[in-house]
This record gives sequence, C-alpha cells and structure tokens, in this order.
Amino acid sequence: MTTDLVIGMAGAGGDGVIAAGEAIMTAAARGGYLAMMTKSYGPQIRGGESSFKLRLATEPIFNAGGTLDIAIALNWDDFLRFGAELPVDGRTTVIYDSASGLTTSQLPLAGVLPVDAVAVPIGEMARASAGTSAAKNTVVLGLLAAWLGVPEEGLLAGVRKRFAKKSPEILAGNERAFAAGVAFATTHQLHVSRLMQRPSPPPAPRLLADGNEMCAAAAIVAGCEFFGGYPITPSTEIMQFLGREIWRYGGTILQAEDEIAGIGAVVGASFAGRKSMTATSGPGMSLKSEMLGLATIAELPLVCVNVQRGGPSTGIPTKSEQSDLFQAAFSAHGDVVRPVLAPVSVADTFRMTVEAFNIAEQFQTPVILLSDGEIAQRKEVVDPVNAQAITILHRRRPNERELENYSRFQLTESGVSPISQPGMEHGNYLASGIEHNERGAPTASGEMHARMNDKRIRKLAPLKARRDLFTIEGDSDAPIGLVSWGSVSGVASEAAALARSEGIRLKLLVPRLLYPVSEEIYEEFFASVRAGLVVEQSHLGQLYRLIRMYVDVPRGLELLARSGSNPISPHEVLDRVRHIVMTFQRDRVPDAEPMAG
Amino acid sequence: MTFAAQDYKSELKPIWCPGCGDFGVVQAIYRALAEINRPPHEIAFVSGIGCSSRIPGYTTAYGFNSVHGRALPIAQGIKLARPELLVLVAGGDGDGFSIGGGHVAHAVRRNIDLTYIVMDNQIYGLTKGQLSPTSRRGERTVTSVEGSLEDPVNPLSYVLGYGGRFVAQGTPADLNGLTDLIVAGIRYPGFAFINVQSPCITYGRADSQLKAQKAGLTPLTSLGHDGSDRLRAMDLASEYGRALYTGVFYRDADPPPTYETLIAERQRAMAMPEGSRERILDMFVPH
Repeated sequence: MTTDLVIGMAGAGGDGVIAAGEAIMTAAARGGYLAMMTKSYGPQIRGGESSFKLRLATEPIFNAGGTLDIAIALNWDDFLRFGAELPVDGRTTVIYDSASGLTTSQLPLAGVLPVDAVAVPIGEMARASAGTSAAKNTVVLGLLAAWLGVPEEGLLAGVRKRFAKKSPEILAGNERAFAAGVAFATTHQLHVSRLMQRPSPPPAPRLLADGNEMCAAAAIVAGCEFFGGYPITPSTEIMQFLGREIWRYGGTILQAEDEIAGIGAVVGASFAGRKSMTATSGPGMSLKSEMLGLATIAELPLVCVNVQRGGPSTGIPTKSEQSDLFQAAFSAHGDVVRPVLAPVSVADTFRMTVEAFNIAEQFQTPVILLSDGEIAQRKEVVDPVNAQAITILHRRRPNERELENYSRFQLTESGVSPISQPGMEHGNYLASGIEHNERGAPTASGEMHARMNDKRIRKLAPLKARRDLFTIEGDSDAPIGLVSWGSVSGVASEAAALARSEGIRLKLLVPRLLYPVSEEIYEEFFASVRAGLVVEQSHLGQLYRLIRMYVDVPRGLELLARSGSNPISPHEVLDRVRHIVMTFQRDRVPDAEPMAG
Repeated sequence: MTFAAQDYKSELKPIWCPGCGDFGVVQAIYRALAEINRPPHEIAFVSGIGCSSRIPGYTTAYGFNSVHGRALPIAQGIKLARPELLVLVAGGDGDGFSIGGGHVAHAVRRNIDLTYIVMDNQIYGLTKGQLSPTSRRGERTVTSVEGSLEDPVNPLSYVLGYGGRFVAQGTPADLNGLTDLIVAGIRYPGFAFINVQSPCITYGRADSQLKAQKAGLTPLTSLGHDGSDRLRAMDLASEYGRALYTGVFYRDADPPPTYETLIAERQRAMAMPEGSRERILDMFVPH
C-alpha cells in the first residue's frame, strides 16, 4: 500500500478536469489525507484546455510533487500541451480514453514506456450512464475511488456539491457515471497497485484553501479594515475575497484607478487609524515604491502583499518565481529598511499574514509579504487554526501625559513613538514625506535627518532576534547546510529528509524574515557548515546574494537557482547535495573534521 | 465650544515669498473653518508637493503633506476609513493636473465628500519657474525659453467634463468671496472642486498678480449665472485663461448619495456579530 501519490489529469475545456481535482481535494480533506493541487490552463481567457496536478498523501507533504504516479489523459492533444507540468516516466500508470483508438504501445509519450497503461472507454461510459460526455470527469472519479481505495462517500460529496443547484436528473446521472467508473476499476486490476493506506480521520475538520484565500482570511483575523488595490495576476483573488467579505466586519475595499492610488488610499486609511492592506504582483510593486517610501518616513503601518510571478516587466504572469526579493528589500530611494516576510506554504500564508500586520503595527512600518504564484494559487488541505488563540497587536497610542505637548516622532529609546490619529484631541500633527523633527515640522537639518534615519532603522532591530521567523531542520552541528525560502523551501525540505535518510549529515534553514537580514541567526547556522547549497527559483539567486551582502558565508556554499516556470525537484536538490558531499570529501584538508558522525 | 479663525492657525511660519497668493488662501481657509466650526482635531488636511502643498502644516488640523500628485488617493483613503472626519485636500496645478491628473477623474466619479482646493498659479514655483500644465501657450519659462508649444489644461472644464457636481473658482484678491466658496464646498455633500487663482509673485506673470486680478475679475452672479445650469457652466468655464470668472460655475442641487454613505449602508446590511472575525476560517471546511 502506498502513502503518497501524485496524480495529473488533463482535458479540453468543458471536460470538468478542475472540478474532478476539487472533488478529490474535498474527499482528501474530509477523509484525513493531506493534499495539494495546482491547476494549469491554456492561454485562452475562457474555454481552453485545463489540467491539475494533485499530490495525495497520508503524511504531511511540503511540495506539489514531481513525476506523476498516475496520469489521466481525457485526450492526448490536451495532455501533451502541458508538457513539463505533467511529467510522465517509466514509473507512471497512464489512464486514457480508449476513444483515441491508440493501443497501449502507441502512446504519444516520446521515449517513455510507462509501467502500466490502461485504455478506458471513459466517454462511452459517461454517455451510457449519464447520457452526456460531460460526465467523463465523474467516471474518472469512480475509477480512482476503486483503484486508490479513497472512500467513495468523500468523492461523491464533491460531486453532489457541484450539482447541488442542478436538476435531480443531472445528479442521478453523475452518480451512475461514478458507479460505472467504480465497476470498471473493480474488474480491471492495475499491474502496479495504487491502493493507498487509509489515514485516520482528522481530530478536527481540516480546511481546504489556497494561499490567496488564506492571506485574505488572515487579514480579516488580524483586524484589517481597509483594502485598496488594482487587479493583477496572480494576486487578484485577495482583493476579490475581501471585496466579498470585508463589509461584514465593518471594513471597506477600494478598487482604485491604478496601483499607486490603491496603496495611496491604504496610506490614508492607515493615517486615519485603520489597519490596512494592499496586494499586487511585480509590475504593481514597481509602481508602489513611491508610497512605500512615504509610509516608511511617515511611520505608518501597512501590509503590502506581493504575489511573485515571472519578471521583469510583464514577464510571465501565470508562472511562479522568486525574483522580487531585491525589489522588496531595496526598491526605495533614501536609507530605508522595511521588513520582508515570505510564507512557505498555504497554511504558513495565514500565519505570516497575521505576522505582517503585527510587525507593521508594532513598529509603525510598511511590511512586504512576499508570497509567490505557486503558494497563492495552490489548493492545500490545511490543519485547523485556533484563531482565538492568535496574538493580535495594535499600534501604540499616546496616553494622556504624552498628549500634553504631543511629539508624534519623539526620539524614544526603542525608536517607536506613540502614534495618534485624526479625531484624537491634542494629538494633531503633520504627517509628511518631507523630513521632519520630533513634532512633525518640516526640517532641512542634517543632524535631525541623521537622527530620524537612525530612529526609523533602529526600531526594527528587535525583528532580527525573532527566531520563530526561522526554522532549522536537522542536527545543529551538521557540516552540510541547505538554505531555501518561500514555496521552494518545501522542495528543499523533502530533499533534506532524503539526504538524511542516506546518512548525509545535513541541516536546512528556512527564513520567513528575509529582510532585515538577521546576521546572528545566519552566522550561528553557518558556524558548523563546511559546504552547502542555497535553493531558490530565480536566475540570480537573490537570497544567496542578499545573505552574502550581510554575512560571511562558508566558502563551500553553492547556489541552485533557476528562473521561474522551471520547477526544481527534490531529487535534483539531492543530486547536488551528493555532489557537494563528494567534492568536499575529496578536497578536504587532512585535519578537517570527519563528515559523517 | 466655538472656534475662531486663529484657532486653525499653527505656529509654523510659511515658507512662501512675501506677496504670494497662498497667504490669502490660507487666511480664507482659517475663516471658512471658523464658520464651519469643527474642532481642528476632527479635520484631516491632505496635500501633495509644491509651494501650496505646504499649507496643511500652517493649520492646526491633522495634516498630511504627502508626495507629488497623490493627495487625492490618500484623502480618499482617509475619508473612506473615517467618514465622520472633515477632509480637505489642497495642492498646486502641477500636483493636480500634471503628475496627479489621472486621479482627479476618479475622485470626481466616486463622489466622495472631499473639498479639493487647487492653488493654480500657472507656474512651478518651488523648483524655480518651470512650465506648468496650466501655463499659457507661448509662455516663456526656464524650460520653455522660446515659448510653450502646448495648450494649457483647463481645470474647470476638466472637472466639469468628468461630471463634477460642485465646481467653483475664486481668488485671494476677493478674500470674502473665496471664504464663502470654501464654506460652500465643505458644506456640499460630495466632491467639491475649487480652483483658486493664487498668483506666484516671484515667477508669475505681472497680469496675474492680485492687483490685476482685483481690477479684472467678473463675479459669475453679475452675469446672471447662479450655478444651476450645467451647460452654461461649461460654456463659461471654457473662458478659463481669457476671463477671470469667480463664484460657483456649477452646483448639482440633487447629488446622489456619497460613496461613504453607500458603504455605511452596505456595512450595516451585512454586519456580523462581534467575534465573527475569528470564525472566518470555518468557511474553508469542505462539507
């Protein structure tokens, strides 16, 4: 019995491929499985081919998986259009519609002989049972229910949910199509069994969400009352979610005329005392730089989400990348430090969004939440969160004594000064993008400018000691070190586990706080490291270079970095790690410490 | 408690040149605020960048001297977040009709209750005398030594063209008239635009100075125009740059509800009980 399967399916528009994937995700969440699903579409705005890749497991998983264990082609033209997104090799079981007329030895998989190929009259079964080809996806669910041993009830729940608002005949037809799929699979054994272990049911109901949904929901929990933004792929769902929900909690959204006005309204709402957020992607970030600088000098809290996609300029809007780290950290004129946080998964997006609001409020600063297209658009089964137990921070308001002769930008020891808001008597002050003195009056004094720069940067120092914003896996004295961030850290994490199972003494550092760089935490991590690898999805390797700007890294630290849309697999990371270990063993000086312990 | 004009005046000393029109504008604002009589801490006053954009700092309101061209988006965020505040916006012609020109149309069409005062001097004063979007064709400046090759923006037609519901023009040469316009703009339930011919004493044309304005201005009421006729308003507005008309060009007597009123209605209709925020994740449990 298997515990971990990667399933890929593709078909034409109208085949309901995505709906089938969603039904499996629903069954997974209800049945105690852990799962991730990524969707992919052709370039058409509507009605083109679509596909999903879904990893189903009984133990926690950290990435969407590599080569398919099961490939389902409703037709081969559409399947092949997804190329590297649905990789098939000699270990794959291929299921396809026999209407293609191809025998199992004629499959259009150049150079690959799959371990098993099953031609199923999927379309014919759909028409015979439900009277329509539209039920092909439901036939496939029936096949998978039997071949995988996933509870039929869970899969049927997904089907019923989909047809709840349709006529009873349509639902009954789909139930028959499902039964036909089950019956076929029961009488046709697979050469390689794909039966999965049954997980124990979850102690509390699990959630099913994508990263953008988790980000928007976390904003509500954190107390966000204002969202201003402009539609842009792949972040738009955050605005759409809040546009539906925020009114229920006394909040407002503004779909602004452009990216600048979107964050401009957020700056205004924050000045007016409301927790506020905007969300965008790379091209929008370019436009928002001006307002981020203003929020920095006016010391106004706000959260700016950047769901990264391929760049520069328009780049590849639909593909994930990690190439906006330099922009997040450095796109500003003047001496600016602004916190940059990156979630590593859908579930982590919830935590990091709340964290972004808390840091913004605590330190009166804009915070960049650097998500990526992979996490934002990926559906995951997520463990329940006890939102009541989450700490929510608020900006420090002046007390009565501080309001006597109030100084908005008072040079306190921590650098954080009490902030008033319009409506607060005696708290009147001038917020400005121009340099100002403690009272807020414009100044051209070089001395005051230096002190204010120091205040604005000094106040963020406590962040660097936030060890909870870093995770380290593996033995603290391991000589091999991996560093990775964002969605790709899930790949690194799986590679690290594989390496350790081979006896390689390796540890992994995943920073959620990317900027300011915590020299101390990196130096501590690198202290035992003789050789290692930074893994990230950009051409330059932006985290690798950012770390080296602040930290003396081990000479043997290498980089595995590649532009977006070219996924990095755990086995690729593992191969590099093996190579690094071999090189290190060959080159090590005689008195070096032994590698294996 | 009542407030006098002096209560809205801050301790900061203006950076403006002696004789600048903006001194008159800030006086008119003090007087108008005294007439409205909201406590200074319930007022938010937002500006962009330029000589005139220093103005919030010279009042005792909560001020926001922001960045070039972006006063309107920031002011809209403030008003939507806190509709109970009185929100004023001010800036120059470059701020409003050049770098920030794209925002004006959207502030107008949303009909958020803001009063937008543009101090229009047809020149860039802070950067020492370059061409502005309202400079006349042929104007010679340090960036148009041989004369400007462009027509100016007409701020009045611009705002009327986008459906502006309160459009007026004043000048510090008629301080009482300007004060009345600002009061009327603040009282107007929606977006109000007041173009103020506020001359630049240092780089401005001689024929735009206060003395010349005083001699040449024509109150719209003297033409029998009471601001109710939108088409006539557009006609009169097209004389911008040729005639100095003062008063209300157009005032829609029956405006639709403001954006923030509609928001409040929606929030009331959809309101969830206290403590609901923490339960929002329940919607992700598949059933």
